[in-house]
Amino acid sequence: MLAVLLIVWFALPLVPLALWAFADRWSFPSAIPTVWGVDGLDAAIAAGGPAASGRSFLLGLTVALIATPIGALAARGLVAGWAPLPKILPVLLFAPVAIPPFAAVLGTNVLLLRAHVPPMLGLVVVLVAAAVPYTTFMLRTAYAAHDVGFEEEARTLGASAGQVLWRVHLPLMAPALARAAFLAFLVGWSDYLVTLIVGGGQFVTLPMITASLAAGIGNDSVVAVLSLTAVLPPLILLVLLARTGSHRRP
Amino acid sequence: MGSRGKRGMANPNPDPVNRLRGARLLLIVGMIPVVVVVVGGLGSTILQSIGLMPLVGPVRLSVDAYVSTAPALLSSIGTSLWIAAASTAVAIVLGATTAFVVVSGGRLGRIVGAIGAVTVSVPHLIGAATMGLLLADSGVLPRLLGIDATAWPALVAGPWWVAVIAEYAWKESAFIALVVAGTLLTRVAQFDEPAAMLGASRGARLRMVFLPLAAPALIVSATIVFIYTLGSYEVAWLLGRTYPEPLAVMAIRLFNDVSLSSRTESAAIAVLTVAISLAAVAVAAVAMRRSAVWR
Amino acid sequence: MHFTPPSSRRKWRTFATATLALGALVALAGCAAPSAEATSAFTDWDSVVSDAQGQTVNLWMYGGDEQGNSYVDDVLAPAAAAEGVTLNRVPIVDTKDALNRVLTELQAGRTADGSVDLVWVNGDNFRTGSEAGAWLCEWTPLLPNMRNVSATDPLLGSDFGTPVNGCEAPWNKAQFSVAYNSDVVADPPSTVAGILEWAASHPGRFTYPAPPDFTGSAFVRQVLYSVSGGYENVPAAYSAESFDQLTPDLYTALSDVAPSLWRGGDTYPADVDQLNQLYADGQIDMTLTYGPATLTRLVEDGTFPAATKVLSIAEGTLGNASFLAIPANAAHAAGAMVVANLALSVEQQVAKADPTRWGQFTALDVAALTPAERQQFADLPQSTVVPSFEVLSRNANPELSAEWVPAVNEGWRTRIPTR
Repeated sequence: MLAVLLIVWFALPLVPLALWAFADRWSFPSAIPTVWGVDGLDAAIAAGGPAASGRSFLLGLTVALIATPIGALAARGLVAGWAPLPKILPVLLFAPVAIPPFAAVLGTNVLLLRAHVPPMLGLVVVLVAAAVPYTTFMLRTAYAAHDVGFEEEARTLGASAGQVLWRVHLPLMAPALARAAFLAFLVGWSDYLVTLIVGGGQFVTLPMITASLAAGIGNDSVVAVLSLTAVLPPLILLVLLARTGSHRRP
Repeated sequence: MGSRGKRGMANPNPDPVNRLRGARLLLIVGMIPVVVVVVGGLGSTILQSIGLMPLVGPVRLSVDAYVSTAPALLSSIGTSLWIAAASTAVAIVLGATTAFVVVSGGRLGRIVGAIGAVTVSVPHLIGAATMGLLLADSGVLPRLLGIDATAWPALVAGPWWVAVIAEYAWKESAFIALVVAGTLLTRVAQFDEPAAMLGASRGARLRMVFLPLAAPALIVSATIVFIYTLGSYEVAWLLGRTYPEPLAVMAIRLFNDVSLSSRTESAAIAVLTVAISLAAVAVAAVAMRRSAVWR
Repeated sequence: MHFTPPSSRRKWRTFATATLALGALVALAGCAAPSAEATSAFTDWDSVVSDAQGQTVNLWMYGGDEQGNSYVDDVLAPAAAAEGVTLNRVPIVDTKDALNRVLTELQAGRTADGSVDLVWVNGDNFRTGSEAGAWLCEWTPLLPNMRNVSATDPLLGSDFGTPVNGCEAPWNKAQFSVAYNSDVVADPPSTVAGILEWAASHPGRFTYPAPPDFTGSAFVRQVLYSVSGGYENVPAAYSAESFDQLTPDLYTALSDVAPSLWRGGDTYPADVDQLNQLYADGQIDMTLTYGPATLTRLVEDGTFPAATKVLSIAEGTLGNASFLAIPANAAHAAGAMVVANLALSVEQQVAKADPTRWGQFTALDVAALTPAERQQFADLPQSTVVPSFEVLSRNANPELSAEWVPAVNEGWRTRIPTR
């Protein structure tokens, strides 16, 4: 019963999107689309949706691949106590979330531009900074609950550092790592402001197309298709990651 | 852990002190992006708010921006805190419940986990758009329920910011569920299965096993939700009302004002928002220290 | 293992402090405000064209209008390619995003290699950019196709009260319009005062976007003209005396009508998109627009009621134009000029004015064109919803100077929603 209620809670707001995605026409006061069709899909393709999704995927993946190991290091360091500045580091890590995005992005961009950092590198740097708090805190709670005993044991049994990492540590941490990577992926996958302002408009991503179309009236159908597109790859990624995680779980 | 250190020939482990040094160095390198964003973002915002970094005009140290925004601040702070607190509270309850259902397993649990992940993937801007389509006076929900627009409560742009809070709570409960479930997946089974075998009821397991284990992740993710909600403006702008203005909405309006001089006031409000956020982090840190599982 | 030797701890602290200090220094070095207005380095068109060859021009433009997007992608960009310039459209949510990118670049001292080459702009954003010296100026006289544009047209000489000074090339004209559902509004008003009266007698069926929204702010100025007895009675130049003398009537009129507005005037749509959504959802019976071009498609695709018509306002409405501007630091200014020139060609302006394509009113002086060229405009299909520009712009009202706008907006914000 509880589960069903939660499914309703999460699914209900998606109903307008799901209906609009296949509505060629939906005029007031009809409760359901008046003409069904795939105009929205056509418009999404015409707007460059597929190529933009590819770019967003690449960006999300890059951010995840960088921010997850950093988060793991920071989390482990904080939990184990060897992280530098153990009092300041958590505050520093909360700060990117606490600074209103427009202020953070524009201020940082002045720095990056002044230092002649290439726009694409700057884009990755800022998105990684935005993702690291999520990966760190996700993993910090996981490491706090993590039992280092298994690794100790493996080492005592003569496993090398690499073996301990790959055979013991990663499998144990897989579910948390997968979720941290997922959150980091989403930071890159769904960003508009940083991609535009720091990336300098050279890299047109899915959120840029979606958000700009959403700013106008009469685009609900194409916006719905693009939004649903935006939901699928992360979901597939999460399922894949969860699967690898659960297989290796001891 | 003192037994570590010198080992026999069979152990190819490098010196742990060296390994630590390497890890620490890596961590410092990894923190560079964060430092760049914090120094660049916060630094320039503070400088701008005290008149040291104007886009046009002379550089002049002053607190004018803080003084001139003061009259409207009280109602704005109140509105922001209401939205952030209500959203966070609902997100905590529903997020924790979701995590509990997901961790408990089963087919329904997996479906809840999947649809929660879908929700996390929806950008807030789109979330606000779809929430607007759903809850507006003649939105999809009243149309499906056959309720006339005049009889539908003012959820969008209404006095209690219901649609805004619903959007944040919707997205962020999924986020909290993801974080909490991620932390507990490996962990709870160890405690929960024995507890279940010993005949503990579901409610007892929730109280005795799940909540204590979930507390740190819950506190951290709730803090992130609170300060994120406080600092972001799109949802409140799209689904909220004209007056009173939440802090972030006021900041963005001043920032985008025709007159560039308003940007100092916008920066002052941004600094104030960061200060409130950091106060929330401090409260969370205290709560964290009290939670038993945290080291 | 959990113990860090004090010496190394101090080292990390030093390192972190150094990083922070360095960052602060770099940020501080960025304090210099951008220099005043930049002028084009070119003196003749041929050198512009030869310089432009092979350049990629990044046109940053509001992407919420599918017809506008497809006009640029499918008509303008291929024509630009034929002239040796690649046109790359960057879709943005708000023109302010483009301006913010340019301002950050200038703030960081990047004065020659900017990433924005061309912006679709007018009004507030043009003024903000001008204030910061963000536009390249005095380049439009170089464009050969400027001969198709009237040199004395007040709509093109100043942009919402800010002098254009050759800092942007005309692209479209528009007219502030009120659309209504003729199925519901049996007695359409014919004056601005009539609209307020209609609102008062039909509670909950009218509203306007909260200033500083562009369209909402224009509506408030339209009411200012109305309560002052016509635009002639409002001095174009701003002064505190005129403001104090004229605006009390304005705010009285607006607060008197407020209880009869949508939601009893308790709140207002945040922008024109929300206003349009209310109209599409049948919650209100009138909507306001500064770009009537989009109405045709919105009626055709069923977003707006089929009976949507444009109100004819006896005393006329505010006219405006939108432009293509080149940022002062654009990396490909020559290419941008070629595109701006191309956009002013008869062929492009005709294509753009076609309601089935985009329906934007031309910025050209059609009367001064050759008969054959005039015929191309005359042959365009008529929109079933939007009257011709000649009809819409009858008795067009001039804009107030730019200083009026923030004063009127701020006055509204402190008096009306807090009522």
